[in-house]
Amino acid sequence: MSSAFLGGARDRLLPVSIPFRFFVSAALFHLAAWGVLLLEADQLGGFTGGPGPILAATHLATLGVFAMTAIGASYQLLPVVTRRPLARDWPTRLSFWLLSPGICLLAWGMDRSSPGAMQTGAALVCSGLTVFAMLTADNLRRAGSVAVVAAHGWAALLALVGLAVLGMLLVWDFQTGFLDDHAGLAVIHMVLASYGFMGLLVAGFSLVLVPMFALSRSLPQRPGWAQLVLAGVSLASFACGRWTGNTAFNWLALLAGFGAAGTYLWLMRAAMARRMRKRLGLSFVLIRASWGLLGISLILGAALLADLPIPNAPALFGFLLLAGWLSTFLMGILQRIMPFLASMHASGKSGLPPPPSDLTPQTPLKIHAFCHFGALACCAAGIIMETTALIRLGAVFGCVGALAFVGFALIVLLRLRAFQQGS
Amino acid sequence: MSDAVPGKHWQAKDGLHIDTRGLDPPDPMVAILWHLEQPGQNGPVTVHLNRNPIHLFPELIERGWLYEVQHHDSGEVTLSLRSAP
Repeated sequence: MSSAFLGGARDRLLPVSIPFRFFVSAALFHLAAWGVLLLEADQLGGFTGGPGPILAATHLATLGVFAMTAIGASYQLLPVVTRRPLARDWPTRLSFWLLSPGICLLAWGMDRSSPGAMQTGAALVCSGLTVFAMLTADNLRRAGSVAVVAAHGWAALLALVGLAVLGMLLVWDFQTGFLDDHAGLAVIHMVLASYGFMGLLVAGFSLVLVPMFALSRSLPQRPGWAQLVLAGVSLASFACGRWTGNTAFNWLALLAGFGAAGTYLWLMRAAMARRMRKRLGLSFVLIRASWGLLGISLILGAALLADLPIPNAPALFGFLLLAGWLSTFLMGILQRIMPFLASMHASGKSGLPPPPSDLTPQTPLKIHAFCHFGALACCAAGIIMETTALIRLGAVFGCVGALAFVGFALIVLLRLRAFQQGS
Repeated sequence: MSDAVPGKHWQAKDGLHIDTRGLDPPDPMVAILWHLEQPGQNGPVTVHLNRNPIHLFPELIERGWLYEVQHHDSGEVTLSLRSAP
């Protein structure tokens, strides 16, 4: 038997530099995505796909912000949830050093329509994602508890394989044009990336993270399984519908998607209703708003399918799905877990770790939240009204908010370092 | 919290004992914090877990509780808690 006074918290924790390099990179890519949109605001409204700055900004957000956040959080949280430590640390670092230059190169290639840069960037990104997938699969394979969370992880990995293969094909098709239906496959790639890989990770981790942050009892397993099955049916039906051109599959996908989202929102509502923590703070303002934006994205998806006359509906759908639902949710989670993780790694002269509240600078978070919602409102209105000035104003809000978030991440790191040096 | 507190608990000579073994996350954390937040509870409190509750520690520090962790060969963990002076 071993004993550790005021200690033991570092067991099963990766070195702090590993999750934080992913989180700080996510904050920087967030700023870059808004920056590209600010410079090329006139191209957002009519965007329906194809190389150019909007595709670059999209991938700075999806890979740079969403995937980096999800990977950093998975490396840190999965071993804790599954009670199985990662076999080794070095592959996590390798995945970072493949992903971060790969994302930069891919986005640069997309912006400049350079096939060589896109292909090299995509190859690096896929290599990094492969390392992540192998580490996560190894951890999930050894997981002995929380089967429903592990099953979401497996489904997300399956979606990741699909989206990565499609992504490589699409990138090579920009040069060779060998695909018959580039646009159709691009839509499947986008849906697999957003609702598939990211959506399933969000839904799975939410079953543990949201009750943990809100201090609510664990959520019932059956609705969790129902949510997973419905999401799987939705994604498979959507891919079949786009592949075969049979619209019945698309409507089935939408129906199952609404079912999955409805079940997820019902579970989140249950967690909120049973919570012990009454004051949830700014992070949950973002998280709750993201739940509403998930619903709006699906309603817009239905409107697109029904061919309703909404101006620039594809761009609006993509914007509210990515900048709305996913970005809002992940920024809410990031601002909660960064000080939390820092606290677990820090210890002061007394031997006591600092409370997370001492590591959380509130002002940058307030600026970020205000600017984030301002950015969403202005850009969405700008897309609908086809007004570049509004989109540009939204992008200014987005940049200021993203800059504030970078400041938040750096202050957390500096405070962590100050506590570590003080011990 | 509307539902019953997860896990088992009993009062012994050395204070309150909480047993959260067999619970999935975040139930152990919820149970422990619920007991610590009861009026007049200053410890000592002994918690029996089947995992190291690393996400609990920042919450304990935030609430002014000190903790001692004992790791057993079986993989189980015993936490000794007392409120900070």
